[in-house]
Amino acid sequence: MRPFEYAAPASTQEAVALLAEHGERARVLGGGTDLIVDLKHKPGSVAMLVDVTAIPELLGIEETDEGLRIGAMVKYGEIMESPICNELTPEIVAASHTVGAVQTRNLGTIGGNLVTCVPSADSAPSLLVLDAEVTIAGNDGSRRVPLQNFFVGPRKTCLEPYELLVDIWIPKANLGKPSKFLKFGLRKGQALALVNAAAALYLDKQGAIFEPRIALGAVAPVPMRATKAEAHLAGKKPTEALLHEAAEIAVTECKPIDDFRASANYRRQLVRTMTYRTLQRSVEIASQR
Amino acid sequence: MLVQLKVNGELRSADVPPETTLLKMLREDLGLTGAKLGCDVGDCGTCTVIVDGESVNSCLMLAAKANGHDVTTIEGLATSSELHPLQKSFEELGALQCGFCGPGMLMSAKNLLDKNPEPSVHEIRDALSGNLCRCTGYTKIIEAIQDAGRAMTGAGAAA
Amino acid sequence: MATTVKDVKKAAEALETNKDLTTPAVKPVTLPRDNPVVYPLTLPESEARLRTPAVGQRASRPDGRLHGLGQTKYIDDLTFPHMIHAKILRSEHAHARIISIDTSEAEAMPGVLATLTGREIPVNSFGPTLQDQPVLAAEVVRHRGDGVAAVAAVTEQIAADALEKIKVVYEPLPAVFDPMEALKDEIKVHPPASNIYASKVIKKGDVEKALAQSDHVFHRVFRTQMVEHVPLEPHSSIALWDGNGRVTIYSSLGRITLGREDLSRTLKLPQSKVRLVGTIVGGNFGGKNEITNEPILALLSKKTGRPVKCTFTRGDEFISSTIRHPFIMDYKTGVNKEGKILARKIHLVLDGGAYCSWTGTTIGKGSILAPGPYEIDNLHVEAYAVYTNKTTTGAMRGFGAPQVCFAYESQMDDIATKLGIDPLEIRLRNAFSEGSASPTSQVLQSVAVKESLIQASERFGWEDRPR
Repeated sequence: MRPFEYAAPASTQEAVALLAEHGERARVLGGGTDLIVDLKHKPGSVAMLVDVTAIPELLGIEETDEGLRIGAMVKYGEIMESPICNELTPEIVAASHTVGAVQTRNLGTIGGNLVTCVPSADSAPSLLVLDAEVTIAGNDGSRRVPLQNFFVGPRKTCLEPYELLVDIWIPKANLGKPSKFLKFGLRKGQALALVNAAAALYLDKQGAIFEPRIALGAVAPVPMRATKAEAHLAGKKPTEALLHEAAEIAVTECKPIDDFRASANYRRQLVRTMTYRTLQRSVEIASQR
Repeated sequence: MLVQLKVNGELRSADVPPETTLLKMLREDLGLTGAKLGCDVGDCGTCTVIVDGESVNSCLMLAAKANGHDVTTIEGLATSSELHPLQKSFEELGALQCGFCGPGMLMSAKNLLDKNPEPSVHEIRDALSGNLCRCTGYTKIIEAIQDAGRAMTGAGAAA
Repeated sequence: MATTVKDVKKAAEALETNKDLTTPAVKPVTLPRDNPVVYPLTLPESEARLRTPAVGQRASRPDGRLHGLGQTKYIDDLTFPHMIHAKILRSEHAHARIISIDTSEAEAMPGVLATLTGREIPVNSFGPTLQDQPVLAAEVVRHRGDGVAAVAAVTEQIAADALEKIKVVYEPLPAVFDPMEALKDEIKVHPPASNIYASKVIKKGDVEKALAQSDHVFHRVFRTQMVEHVPLEPHSSIALWDGNGRVTIYSSLGRITLGREDLSRTLKLPQSKVRLVGTIVGGNFGGKNEITNEPILALLSKKTGRPVKCTFTRGDEFISSTIRHPFIMDYKTGVNKEGKILARKIHLVLDGGAYCSWTGTTIGKGSILAPGPYEIDNLHVEAYAVYTNKTTTGAMRGFGAPQVCFAYESQMDDIATKLGIDPLEIRLRNAFSEGSASPTSQVLQSVAVKESLIQASERFGWEDRPR
């Protein structure tokens, strides 16, 4: 790689200050599994790498009265080994397991995945269906943003210059919500998702669907919610026919492209099947309660 | 910049430009050429080393990031009087052919057995998903890991 | 000091009485705990080395110990004092004339010690059959990834950066990518020569008559794709000279005697002045059978007076190292009602890439094996290798055998399905037996095709398969 400076600030303020100082020529370094590859193959002019992986505010997994907090710089491996995550958000654990391979998961961070912001981001669907929010910190303080609004376009988030992603929040009400995540890639490991999908829902006392959520990745410019399909499910009993209908609606909502990995048509078929399966499994879990 | 870290239990240091990867520092500044450069982008796993007890792609990790941390490489597995059970099993079962994937494969295997001494075949495959081998077809590697796991639990102590 | 007759006699006596020749006792050594383990401890002796016959005994790989210790030294693990690094500039064009190459800006960069272009290479051509491949393209580039210039610098990064400063002016030429198009010779890759640079015909019996007499004729075109070896170890070489005008090259090359011939030829040096040292190769599979940038490194080393190393990036491996030939295989097979093959007519087109490399062997082997391990009395195989403006196709595990196997085995299944015959049975009806004639009429011995099929099918439970 071409020469750059390196700094490992100990606080968010320090990091933001460094970013502001070096402007366009500074980049935030998380696990590096995306950035280092980029710097090797597309060397732009990067003067300073600000390593934020040691900043305490960006670390840690804890359950509070507000909900579950996952620091942006928490690694996938840590999520997979966290008893809290396994108990309360098992599908975030499942999604983490599908990323790269063991080595990637020991370096890569959940926040880094969100900030890289590719349509196929594997952490996105399982977070979206739990109504996740993110905390962003910058020079003017910090703000909370629903995850759906964090994604603006391919490789473009709502982060302003010199802002940092601090952590991810799952609202308390959604901890333990029946959910399922699925990823389909051309391999079982070290693969990008052709499509990834997640669903989450509750069943109310009458057995009707309550607060349904469906999220799809790699089939639109950003990870998306299939809101029409969700609306179709709300308040209804989860029959096989209903779930299949919702899957069909989800297919109409997505906008996949043809690329060298798969055709748009194939992706639509994956959306249909994976939407059904994630819904079906969520219903199964909910019914067992 | 000066990078100081523990490598195989020994305090080592080198003055390297900040853009140096841990892989490059190990190979060129510390004379530890066990970890290999196969793709340089974290896909093949030949650069796998263990940092603070977790296997990582050293080609994706800046040496600066490893400053103050604990690194184990393939060179740290054997002592002067005996091989690590994994090295023994790999050798006896003929698990490697050209050998290039070996150091990375062994470090991933060690990381697995240190956490899960009796892994199933599926768990082994999952643990090795970041290590490519073009020669062997993986079968003997998996057998050797199972063999070493049995030896390690039989012996009682994790290496 | 002269040896006297008395000394010789004394020594001879000592040998006989064995008095003074006790093995000196090996003094035990206490090694510090953190002594890095470089040497392989005490190696166990392999049973196979201790017994006769060795066949059937347990053998251990001689390299297993060092592999396990991570001590096997591959080329990229070697360094020499004052070693510098080279990088190759590769063409972005599939087919273009080189109008000019200006290396002056690269040479002016701090840390850059030398550059090299094709014109500086004494004999700028090599190849196992046809010497149609330049070491560095000087007049024309014929595929994306064709090397045009080289830089040697004190670090790899400086060398890579220097490549961007080399100005090459190209005149793009029309390119041909589809081998079927290339057959037409409208766009020539090596003008004035035809794109068809190798061919083979095998004839046996009367294939047209036998096809006409067949109960069924099956016709299908099969295609295979480009495959890259992806050896885990990228190609790597180091060149250095000694005071006697001899160059030593450490290389990941598998075929080092051939390599030495190529180096002697391209560098215009007698072979006695070329020393090529091979080591454990980190995966070859055919891709490390011929030289790549060794002559370049030799010349850069000569220019700079320093050892020069160059290792391919993984990207170079895919684009600029040889790959397996894609085959387009037209199979026309005539069978009788029992599924016995009476005639087979095969037309093969090999995508021969930008340069010949190992196509000669591939077309030969591919053609001979194309009919499959089956008794066929009436046979016609016609094969053509064509140049295309794509990555050079060379040797890869099988030399054409895997491609044709895909075709003839797929067609066998087609025939079995159509005629309602068990896929194993149809093969047993056609397979070679002891004394069968090969497609080129070689009488085959030690034939065990049918026995192997039956044993294998029993082992993997063919009869119990779900229908």
